[in-house]
Amino acid sequence: MLSIWQVIIITMLAFLVPIDKYGMTFGLRWPIIPAFLMGFILGDMQTALYIGGTLQLMSLGVASIGGSSVPEYSTAAIIATTIAVVTGKGMEAGLAIGLPVAMLGVQLDVFAKILNGFVVRTSQNYANKKDFGKMIKILMVGPIITGLTAAIPVFLAISMGPEIVNKILDITPSWFISGLTIAGKVLPAVGIAMLLNYMPVRKYIYYLFLGFFFAAYLGVPILGVTIIGLIASMKYYSENQNKMGTTGTSSDNVTNVGGLEDE
Amino acid sequence: MNSENKAILNKKDLNKVIMRWMPMAVNTYNYQYQQAGTVVYSLYPALRKIYKNDDELQASIQNHFNYFNCMPWLAPLVLGATLAIEDNGGIKDKEIVQNIKTSLMGPLSGVGDTIFWVLVPTIIGSIAGYMALENNPTGVIAWIIINIAFMFMRFKFIHLGYNQGIKLVTSFGNKVALLTECASILGLIVVGSLVSSVVNIKIPMVIKYGEVSMAIQPMLDKILPALVPVLITFGIYKILKMKKLGITGIILMVIIFSMFAAYFKILA
Repeated sequence: MLSIWQVIIITMLAFLVPIDKYGMTFGLRWPIIPAFLMGFILGDMQTALYIGGTLQLMSLGVASIGGSSVPEYSTAAIIATTIAVVTGKGMEAGLAIGLPVAMLGVQLDVFAKILNGFVVRTSQNYANKKDFGKMIKILMVGPIITGLTAAIPVFLAISMGPEIVNKILDITPSWFISGLTIAGKVLPAVGIAMLLNYMPVRKYIYYLFLGFFFAAYLGVPILGVTIIGLIASMKYYSENQNKMGTTGTSSDNVTNVGGLEDE
Repeated sequence: MNSENKAILNKKDLNKVIMRWMPMAVNTYNYQYQQAGTVVYSLYPALRKIYKNDDELQASIQNHFNYFNCMPWLAPLVLGATLAIEDNGGIKDKEIVQNIKTSLMGPLSGVGDTIFWVLVPTIIGSIAGYMALENNPTGVIAWIIINIAFMFMRFKFIHLGYNQGIKLVTSFGNKVALLTECASILGLIVVGSLVSSVVNIKIPMVIKYGEVSMAIQPMLDKILPALVPVLITFGIYKILKMKKLGITGIILMVIIFSMFAAYFKILA
């Protein structure tokens, strides 16, 4: 059973997840970091790290880029660690409750961004009236809205009590639970596909094969492959630096001319 | 006109801007203004110092209420450069401010998203993730330290942007293409390795011909290690390319597919 203080601290942590994700980036947007903190709050670091690690690998490559909304795996980490520890039914039970909430996070994120439209519009109206103090103050509502998108679902999920959670888990069929475990193994492929979608795959497909070869056939760990990648990109940089350098000088001259005209 | 205006912002003012930018950043994000709200929020004290006249201040703020969207760790470069322009040229340069913002935000986001939202979290995330599965928090702690180091980087960026001013467009513009290519090469090699190491899916089925039974997975391993992960990744990549389903739709699809696979015991 959670103490009232644990509920408060966990809800506060959840409140900070989206604010940190969109702001300071201490790291709460990556599920393993809130899970690590949950280890201290719940007093069960092993379970927390295991769930955090699983969700981290599950969410690799899924990044909120350019204001897009993606499932909030970090709230899944907070809920899943809590449920797993409180019910004692392990990670699968935690994920069964946590992952659906993470998916719901997409809708809430979109909703928050719509609400923020009103906030910024109000702020601009104050600017029109030259009321600069209020213009700044109203903008501080923004982080509160984003924070609530995670705090509310997490609070509801962790405070509904183990009886209700157990009832939900009891009526959940076994293929649902083991399906989630398989999904955990397949979902990294979605992240990888997303990454490939951003990258010039056709142009450099041989580099993709190179990385695959090192890992699949030679068993080189990711840090080793990263070093190989760094060497390859450094080589590309030094080979093409001069080419770019010459165009650099010519456009520098252009700016100098512009600068003279200014004076 | 220019020579009459003396630049009045000092290092402390710029630090103040970044202290306001960092925690707010994308927190006022919306579909109409994108990050403009935070731009106004963080630049306000500096702009107040530059413009003693309320009308000029208002004009400058209204200019900053225009659409702006940039990778928030690199945006300080742009903010620094715009402040340098306004600090030296005043409100008459507001067109330049607008131009520098719109011309830099795209390319900066391209490089920044690839490196800081994709490459770094993918590499560190998979290392920290595997360590955590073995009950080892070292990777997580290292990641937190790295994230804190990136906060200091953002302080550096606003000063760099301010010192470069308008030159930032040309000095950065020349390198952006090269840096993007380098990041792509590194990224593709890392992503190639991820397919076999992170997508850890196998086929547990055993085919039986009367007396002889044959496990499928060892057979596949002889043809190509990680064949199933490669096929699954390729399939999802193709679905993404069709642009019919959003990322949430695809994740939901994968979860449903996994439940079928669990029910019929196709995958494990």
